[in-house]
Amino acid sequence: MRRLQSLFRRRNPDRELDEELRFHLEERTRENIAAGMSPEDARRAARLLLGNPALIKEDTRAVWTLAVLERFWQDLAYAVRSLAKSPGFTLAAVLTLALGIGANSAIFSVVNAVLLRPLPYPGSDRIAIVFLHSQRINRGALGSADFLALEQRQQSFDGVAAVSTFNNGLTLTGQGDPVAIPGSKVTGGFFSTLRVRPELGRTFLPGEDRPGHPLTVVVSHEFWEQFLHSDPAALGRSIALDGKDYTVIGVMPASFHFGPHDNDEMWPVLQLEDIHRRPPFWLFVIGRLKSGVGLRRADADVSRIAVQISEQYPLSGKTTGVVVPLKEVMVGDARMALLMLMGAVGLVLLIAIINVASLQLARASGRRHEMAIRAAIGAGRGRLISQSLTESILLGLLGGGLGLVLASAGLNALLALNRDAIPRANEIGLDARVLLFTAIIAVGAGIVFGLVPAFDAAAARPIESLQDSDRRTTPGSGSRLHQDLLVVGEFSLALVLLAGAGLLIRSLSRLESVNPGFHPEHILTAQLSLPQARYRTAEQLTSFYERLVERLEHTPGVDSAGISLSLPPNLLQLTNPFRREGEPIVPGRSLPLAEEIPVSADYFRALSVPLLRGRLFNEADRAPGTHVLLINQTMVRQYFPGSDPVGKRVQTGDQNPDSPWYTIVGVVGDVKYQGLGQQNMATMYVPYFDDGWSPWFVHSMYLVVRAHGDPTGVARAVRSGVWSLDDLLPVNKMRTMDQLLTLSTAAPRFRVLLFAQLAGLALILAIIGIYGVIAYGVGRRTHEIGVRMALGAGRREIFRLILGRGLALVMVGVAIGTAAALGLTRLLKSLLFDVSATDPGVFAAVAVVLVVVALCACYFPARRATRIDPLAALRHE
Amino acid sequence: MGNDKLQGALDLLILKVLARGPMHGYGITNRVKQLSGDVLQVEEGSLYPGLHRMERDGWIVADWKPSGKNRRAKFYRLTPAGRKRLAEEEKNWDRVTGAVAKVLRFA
Repeated sequence: MRRLQSLFRRRNPDRELDEELRFHLEERTRENIAAGMSPEDARRAARLLLGNPALIKEDTRAVWTLAVLERFWQDLAYAVRSLAKSPGFTLAAVLTLALGIGANSAIFSVVNAVLLRPLPYPGSDRIAIVFLHSQRINRGALGSADFLALEQRQQSFDGVAAVSTFNNGLTLTGQGDPVAIPGSKVTGGFFSTLRVRPELGRTFLPGEDRPGHPLTVVVSHEFWEQFLHSDPAALGRSIALDGKDYTVIGVMPASFHFGPHDNDEMWPVLQLEDIHRRPPFWLFVIGRLKSGVGLRRADADVSRIAVQISEQYPLSGKTTGVVVPLKEVMVGDARMALLMLMGAVGLVLLIAIINVASLQLARASGRRHEMAIRAAIGAGRGRLISQSLTESILLGLLGGGLGLVLASAGLNALLALNRDAIPRANEIGLDARVLLFTAIIAVGAGIVFGLVPAFDAAAARPIESLQDSDRRTTPGSGSRLHQDLLVVGEFSLALVLLAGAGLLIRSLSRLESVNPGFHPEHILTAQLSLPQARYRTAEQLTSFYERLVERLEHTPGVDSAGISLSLPPNLLQLTNPFRREGEPIVPGRSLPLAEEIPVSADYFRALSVPLLRGRLFNEADRAPGTHVLLINQTMVRQYFPGSDPVGKRVQTGDQNPDSPWYTIVGVVGDVKYQGLGQQNMATMYVPYFDDGWSPWFVHSMYLVVRAHGDPTGVARAVRSGVWSLDDLLPVNKMRTMDQLLTLSTAAPRFRVLLFAQLAGLALILAIIGIYGVIAYGVGRRTHEIGVRMALGAGRREIFRLILGRGLALVMVGVAIGTAAALGLTRLLKSLLFDVSATDPGVFAAVAVVLVVVALCACYFPARRATRIDPLAALRHE
Repeated sequence: MGNDKLQGALDLLILKVLARGPMHGYGITNRVKQLSGDVLQVEEGSLYPGLHRMERDGWIVADWKPSGKNRRAKFYRLTPAGRKRLAEEEKNWDRVTGAVAKVLRFA
């Protein structure tokens, strides 16, 4: 121990050496004086005799440092040799660790990219999003009146910009087939607020976003490559977007990403008309906080303006403002899911460590004799521990290295599988921080699983071990207790993970069995965006849709066709407040909200949504000034309870006595538009040809086609049907309804997949762990079993003895794990749908699974025990 | 004789002095000088690295103890390993010097 102490000694060895040498000089000087020298001569003579103190100190220090290095190399060489001597153990340990560490590195690199790394804009922690907050909506978009006022009156930001993102992209024409390109219109301050520069050309000039100026667009590097053929002379060229000509003024570098999925390809200038409006609320606003301005001050600032504007437009509802850091908005719900995964993956690593520690213990008892000899010939306890640790850390690092390879492969598979389920997915990768994290957990793991056998080894009593003639001597009961504890711990952890995975799986199956309100088979959907330049009037729009539906319904293989602004299960485009006839108008009051969806009459037939009362839309509803509505069951239940709503009237939009009255003509079944996991909301359907609507809303509509058979079979016919009416129109996002349903549960399915894989890994490691311990125990107790058999124990009793020990360990593990899981799964609550975090069915199933697989794992060693030949076993000594 | 052998001789002297009881570095030089009748003078520059090397190797251990008025000194003492080492070194020395003496007698 002394040597170990001097390695880490807290006393200052340099100062001690100084003191030692000083003492020597002083003593010598004193002696010289006593011999009659003058004090000065005495001191000089002493110095001369001792020599150069600096040199002595250097030599002495070298004695120690060299020793440390030398010992390190010795230990390392010893570790390499001893690992090479037992390749089976080494392989098992390295693989186990690689799985545990690799899983951690992979998940950590996602956490690192999504949660830890700053957004890829300079000074990104100062970038925030401004929302409107009202009674109805927590974080809502702004109206143009709000943004224009904010731009002029705000005092908290160095710059603000409005962003209008198009769900369906902008239609690019004149470059081959018409195609929808994802993009956002942005006001002039967008790029300067983000502090990003183009790689080519320029961004917007001041005033370029004022109405009347020529339209300009900044494009992404990818767009420039794909559509402008990487031609530097493309700057100044004109491209047609949504039927209007925009001049390309700049190209952003490939590293620049923005947009809901970081996938915007172009940023056309947004010219807000000077007519301030509110509603609609359609703008997202980014701002760069001035240095020294905190979120709270910015909140107060934007709230002041939002209140002013809501007083100016009293019927649009009371609002305040709220400022949220951009990163928080982008990361969203992913934070919770990621932290949970990180926890799960940490548990897997713990199990892996336990497994290796248990392997080490088993091996250590085989090496007890060797250790005893080494202790007897003078290797100190410290030295034995440090050698054992060196070996473990080397194992940890080998596992970590292989783990990184697995992590990198796993990450690629993970991202290929589901890029959209993770925000900032394109930033995920193995960077320096991931490497450092991996190194730390690899070394940490090595120390943790190394300490158990290290102390076990150091506790070896050389005399007893040497006296024992059997080389594979029986370890003390302490080591066996260690092993049992490790197995119990392993099963507790595995139970926690399995319970989590079980709850998520159950939740997903509940989610997928939700009734969406329609029959999804045989349905093909697509999205059309009619360019405003060519479809200016309501007449042009409705006539196009009418002819389209007519043509499609006469296409062979098509049963029915309809159009709609929103699509189930989660593509809701619009909600609108409504007021029932007879309710008073109260300024500043918030009206109830309903989903409002322009559709064609056959939309209900195409989706198979049942008509429950009244009638669908008909030709008579086309008469000018006629306004009709269909409402869903939920709206009846919530707002017309106990009465027949057919014939009743409502006004839609914000409170305005002059808006037209809509007569309810029928009631249809509930359809999910906001995700399968959400409650049904009140829904109002209006005919797409209703003239109370701004044609602006129906420029972009979904097409719903019910086929007689396989819906993909009519895809070509649907495309050519559209192009026979307008060959410049892109048919976007063609998908079957089954695909849409699957996509809508992509994020939870992704979580389930990951979690289930981790739980599976934990289960496999736990099985290996218990198998190893039981099999090792049988090997060790061969003699004892032989004696028992010789004394008359039957094979069944032996079998029960071995199996019983395994079962006891598992039961204790399951009990502890259940208690822990009951506490921990509460953390999953926000991710569960329609399943309690303590669902007894899931917990019971998980416990049964664990016990059964553990018994299977113990079966083989138990059977081997029954085949022990008592005579051979007794001779074995 | 190579440096190693000289080192060996120094080690032997130090171990021998310490075999009679704990002693600090300065005391060791004096004792060697005194016991050898002023013939042997320990090279003081290599005394301390030598002491630390033996401490590192576990032959001797050191303690700080008071020495005289208000001062303390680092006292070295033999460990069992050091005692064993001393026995070996002494045997070795006898063998080598015996051999040298034989050669000198017959050459």
